[in-house]
Amino acid sequence: MEIQKTEAAKNPETDDTIESTKQKQPEEELEHCDEEDELRSLLLSDIGDLPLSPPSATQVNFVSYFITDFTKPGHDQYIYRHANGLCVVGLAPTHVAFKDQGGITNIDFNVGKSDRSVLKVSGKRKKNAMRSESNTALCKVSTANDSYIVRCCVKGSLLEVNERLINQPQLLNSSADREGYIAIIMPRPADWTKNKESLITLEEYKEKKEVSL
Amino acid sequence: MSDEAKPSSGEHKSGRVYEAARSLHSTAVKDLLSLGVCERCIFRLVSVEPFVSDLSSVSASTLRSWLESGDEEDASSEESRVCIVCLGVLQLVFSDAKQTLVRSECGSDYAARIMDLVKEEGHEFDSFALEVSVPSTIVENDRAVLFYLKGKYNSEGWVQSEKISVKDALKVLVLDPLKASLGAKSDSSSFHIRLTYSKASDEAQCASETTKHERKKRKTGEENGSTCMSENSFEKVYEPCILSVHCNKMPIFFSGRYFKYSRNVSQSRWIIDDERMGEASVEEIIGGNILPACFGDSYKFHAAGREDIDVRMLGSGRPFLVEVQNSRKCPSQESLMEIEEKINNSEKKLVGVKDLKFIGSQCWAMMREGEAEKQKQYAALVWISRPLEEKDINSITALKELKILQKTPVRVLHRRSPLERERTIHWMKVEKIKGSSHYFLLHLCTQAGTYIKEFVHGDLGRTSPSMGSILGCRAEIIQLDVTDVKMGDF
Repeated sequence: MEIQKTEAAKNPETDDTIESTKQKQPEEELEHCDEEDELRSLLLSDIGDLPLSPPSATQVNFVSYFITDFTKPGHDQYIYRHANGLCVVGLAPTHVAFKDQGGITNIDFNVGKSDRSVLKVSGKRKKNAMRSESNTALCKVSTANDSYIVRCCVKGSLLEVNERLINQPQLLNSSADREGYIAIIMPRPADWTKNKESLITLEEYKEKKEVSL
Repeated sequence: MSDEAKPSSGEHKSGRVYEAARSLHSTAVKDLLSLGVCERCIFRLVSVEPFVSDLSSVSASTLRSWLESGDEEDASSEESRVCIVCLGVLQLVFSDAKQTLVRSECGSDYAARIMDLVKEEGHEFDSFALEVSVPSTIVENDRAVLFYLKGKYNSEGWVQSEKISVKDALKVLVLDPLKASLGAKSDSSSFHIRLTYSKASDEAQCASETTKHERKKRKTGEENGSTCMSENSFEKVYEPCILSVHCNKMPIFFSGRYFKYSRNVSQSRWIIDDERMGEASVEEIIGGNILPACFGDSYKFHAAGREDIDVRMLGSGRPFLVEVQNSRKCPSQESLMEIEEKINNSEKKLVGVKDLKFIGSQCWAMMREGEAEKQKQYAALVWISRPLEEKDINSITALKELKILQKTPVRVLHRRSPLERERTIHWMKVEKIKGSSHYFLLHLCTQAGTYIKEFVHGDLGRTSPSMGSILGCRAEIIQLDVTDVKMGDF
């Protein structure tokens, strides 16, 4: 319908002029419907192949790094680095804490010299963020049997810890790589370049741990 | 005896000037002339009459002959000397960009030269505002000479009256002839003509003493009530000021709505490490077409909100403003239509424009208001980890004015404050997709400032509730389109 309309407007000398004047009254309504139709066709035509399981937001937006046996055997952690430099850190699936029966039951951010969960970072410049080294303690996770210290693994400013874990520690068991993340750290570019050397990629991690993820 | 000694009866203006010139304190006049002060400055400093535009039509040499004896025209040996106070400004003498000396006999002659320089810039205008800038040395020179005069003639009435500054005196001389030759009115216009005088060189132009020691001497002299300024302290000036003429038009604005059809076009020019992100930008496509039509210097692009590079802007389009600096011409509505068509019919079809028009500066209020207050509508292609059921569709549609809390998304956390923002999802609609039980089209209408992508995938649980938490499964957003930016007035 749309194509017809434009042609009528362009060739006034043809017989279509009669048609164009006829169209004038309901034209406004048609135009509105046409706009909506156009929008719909634009929306739907852009849907290409729909894979059965698309990559997750984490996989698309972050680069995954891992560190294994950090300060102690079995202390495996992940570092997801965003294109903007921010690093999300958490427990890798092979972390020794998951091997205990019942999994992780508790988390405590009050380690080292302060309670990490009462951080008040403010402003664009991230004032009052705690400066951390890679071995700075982040929190302590406890299982039925034991407790384990989780460390930053990245040198930088601690922007945020996941306080939701305090009331819902089971998130660590169910989705440690998403809702169960532990903290967000902002490293300086120079610090990251150095840090990166001690980290391994997803492929290397899989090989090392002989795990199929 | 020259013809100019006594003005003819028809020239009333010159007559008034003649009378005023003859009535000036002759000793002071001789004194100042010998010091090297120009005729118009003498008039300015010694006369009690206001400095009026009548002076503009009287040449310096004529004025001089009236000031001196009234009979003879003096030899032109003095003419080439630059005034120690105004440095040539009121003598209508200046050095141009090519360092050529330019002399004008009277105001209209000077105005003609200014007009040539103004015409070079190519502006179209029917009114202008004149601005004059002179070096601060001139103000110091003026103060020094006045001080000298007050010291020597302090009993005289004329010495105490308020004296017009060199800058204002030039405006008086030049404004009327300039209006006449440009054929334009003078008012608080959006088109400014700025005459900037600058010193030729430091040594040649200091009539007053400016060394620290000597300034101190002058200060103590003032305190003691004695004059330490003598005739010897005024140095000769050899070069007049350099004049540069600049024209500037206040920015003009164009408004319209844009569409973004590509998922690889950013809103504004985006360059990281010398590499451009995306293949083009909305700002460059639109601004880059409007700027040449205005013959402007540069442009700024403002939009009512923004969308990511991979998000299309469809539906009614997003309101925008293009601000053009120092435009020389204002394009007609026809030219604007042509620009619109050119953009819309371009081969690549990355961006579209509608309702492009010229707009006054009231547009700002409308833009700012629209950005924060209005609602936006989107269509998102969503995937969930389990098949979609009818009850899901019902539960989603039932949610009206849903309040969500969004922590600053990780993807912008590096440059924005870590805050928790409350936002409202006004309504949602689910559209099933043929042949898929895991994918659907989510239509939603939200408060301005809502992060849609984070609402769908949850941003690691930092946006709550999210599509995933509402449906109790994992949700991902595949692509997003803006389908409406409600802003009525635009």
